[in-house]
Amino acid sequence: MNKTTASSPKISGKYFLPAVLLLYLFLYIMMPDNAIDAFLKSWKILIKLLPILTTVVILLGLFNYFFNTKQLSRYLGKDSGMRAWFIAVAGGILSHGPSYIWYPMLSELRKQGARDGLLVAFIYVRAIKLPLIPIMIDYFGWQFTIILAFYLIIAGVIQGLFVDFLRSNSL
Amino acid sequence: MKKHSFLQSIVKSAKGFLYITPMLLSVILLVGLFEVFITRDIMTSIFNGNPFHDTLIGTLVGGVSVGQPIVSYIIGGELRDSGVSMYAVTAFILSWVTLGIVQLPLEYKLFGKRFTVQRNLLSFIFAIIVAVLIVQTLKLLA
Repeated sequence: MNKTTASSPKISGKYFLPAVLLLYLFLYIMMPDNAIDAFLKSWKILIKLLPILTTVVILLGLFNYFFNTKQLSRYLGKDSGMRAWFIAVAGGILSHGPSYIWYPMLSELRKQGARDGLLVAFIYVRAIKLPLIPIMIDYFGWQFTIILAFYLIIAGVIQGLFVDFLRSNSL
Repeated sequence: MKKHSFLQSIVKSAKGFLYITPMLLSVILLVGLFEVFITRDIMTSIFNGNPFHDTLIGTLVGGVSVGQPIVSYIIGGELRDSGVSMYAVTAFILSWVTLGIVQLPLEYKLFGKRFTVQRNLLSFIFAIIVAVLIVQTLKLLA
């Protein structure tokens, strides 16, 4: 069921986008200033995300070019070991931008055999934001920041292992 | 020959993105709405000083909030300074990044119901567990 949904070549959001635009239209009639403000904020976000989106497209292209399904499932698939966890955690920490920008790439890796647990760990450890660490230290102290990063990595891997356990038991 | 294959890989990857562009745009438009309509004042007004209540609320509010993580640090700092427990503040910061109600439709579309429900449920539970662990560890080290 899930696999069918994930591998479907259909356009995603063809009903959702008109619904959101209708919501904007409604808000524009009721509160025009707020609706315009929200639209401008969205526009700014889109512009800001374009370089990251381009990076993700190129990264995905590179993945497709350098790795075939067999290789990918060896690195990230069912029988991958510690190295796969390291890749997931390091990738999650190093990736920039909001999580949803990375979803298409993760979905593609999943189609090629990457384990769900690794994707879960990748998404979770994205809470560690390397460029924002000095700001977090400034607000909450270095002890808090280090402990938070430590527990986030552990929690990400535990969640990933748990999801893999559920999958192996067909849950 | 190889260069052509590489270009094909990029085109294939770009096409994959084109299919999800309407959903991606929807998510970005919703993020704009949330940033305008869910204000900082609304967020801070929900906490009442009870650590249990506030931790749960912190996780929920962080989960429905969107925006740069730095905003969560600023609001988290304000909440702490106004007397909200560090359990709640930590849970709020964690769920801000690990949960996301706005991105749920995209996650559901790309990964399916089971993955989306399990991942978000685990992130919710772990936001509370990790918050408790962090604060307890800090107390031990103090």
